[in-house]
Amino acid sequence: MPGRGSKSVDTDQIKALLKKNKRSMKLRLAACAGCTLCAESCFLFRKKGKDPQYMPSYKVLNTLGRLYRKNGKVSRAELERMRDLLWKNCMLCERCYCAIGVDLPKMIAFARRILRSQGIEGIYPHSLGAPEGEDG
Amino acid sequence: MIIATRKQLEVIKEMVKGYRKVLNVGCGGCTSVCLAGGQKEIDDLCTQLTVSLKGDQIVFESAGFTVERQCEPHFLEELDEIVKPYDALLSMGCGAGVQFLAERYPNKPVFPALDTVFIGVNKNIGWYEERCKSCGDCVLGLTGGICPNAMCAKGLLNGPCGGPQDDRCEVDNEVSCAWVKIYERLKAQGRLGDIMKVQPAREWQDQVQGTLVLEAYRDRYAKKEK
Repeated sequence: MPGRGSKSVDTDQIKALLKKNKRSMKLRLAACAGCTLCAESCFLFRKKGKDPQYMPSYKVLNTLGRLYRKNGKVSRAELERMRDLLWKNCMLCERCYCAIGVDLPKMIAFARRILRSQGIEGIYPHSLGAPEGEDG
Repeated sequence: MIIATRKQLEVIKEMVKGYRKVLNVGCGGCTSVCLAGGQKEIDDLCTQLTVSLKGDQIVFESAGFTVERQCEPHFLEELDEIVKPYDALLSMGCGAGVQFLAERYPNKPVFPALDTVFIGVNKNIGWYEERCKSCGDCVLGLTGGICPNAMCAKGLLNGPCGGPQDDRCEVDNEVSCAWVKIYERLKAQGRLGDIMKVQPAREWQDQVQGTLVLEAYRDRYAKKEK
């Protein structure tokens, strides 16, 4: 796995992880109707001026959804952007709900796992950022 | 949040040195936030253990894996296949997480790499202060939001001990007297009357494991037991 600070992406590793949960995750992604009802269940969305980037569906579709669409062939920069959506924009408080039962927290957790496999982990807003000199 | 610190390397080595393959399990929750048990700390500890034990001519392999939270069973599910080839687990979660891991894998030795020290707040990066003793009988409403249990060295509930010197605690003069702070806070809010409300002696004898089932969920679990 790419180490912390690495600039490379192990696409094969991402693909292997995506394949492992492909059936259940793709079903959930396909089921999303874009109704945005999940947005109101996210306290961060409500507190951050209803910024769409905090909507649970947005977070999932633009991280895990993107990983599946591109079959894991993403750049380091794309993964770094996903990190913000997955950690900065989400506390994984598991409060979010979907009107048709899509397990949003599970998808966020899975996307985080994929990023961790590439040596990317979260910046925690409540810890005032990472130690000096370190990336995230 | 829960604050934990890593044990000394020598202590951890002593726990795991008898095992050839050890999985180091991190936690993406509290121990990540307090920089004790997250992915980075996992990587660092794996490296340190391997190098140190190799220097002692001990055959040792370790790998790290971080789960979102060790205190929630559905986040541990993904470990079920992963733990199989390992002889022991090292947990970098809090004490609750260590026990949940041990419960889930009762046939594998599980060792704590951290000491869980307190419930506290994040003053700044790397600086944490205790604020709560989880006593189960919160009096913060009467003490201006300052906990006499956590902040007073003697845990006094009804005013200072008479020992403070220059507003400093007689037990540790690096620390302010909690009751001086409580007095000042209540005075500023015009609530000094609250300081005169005498609190009964706390019941400390009930140290049985706590369980809390929210009222809204009691029927759900009662049905399962039937």
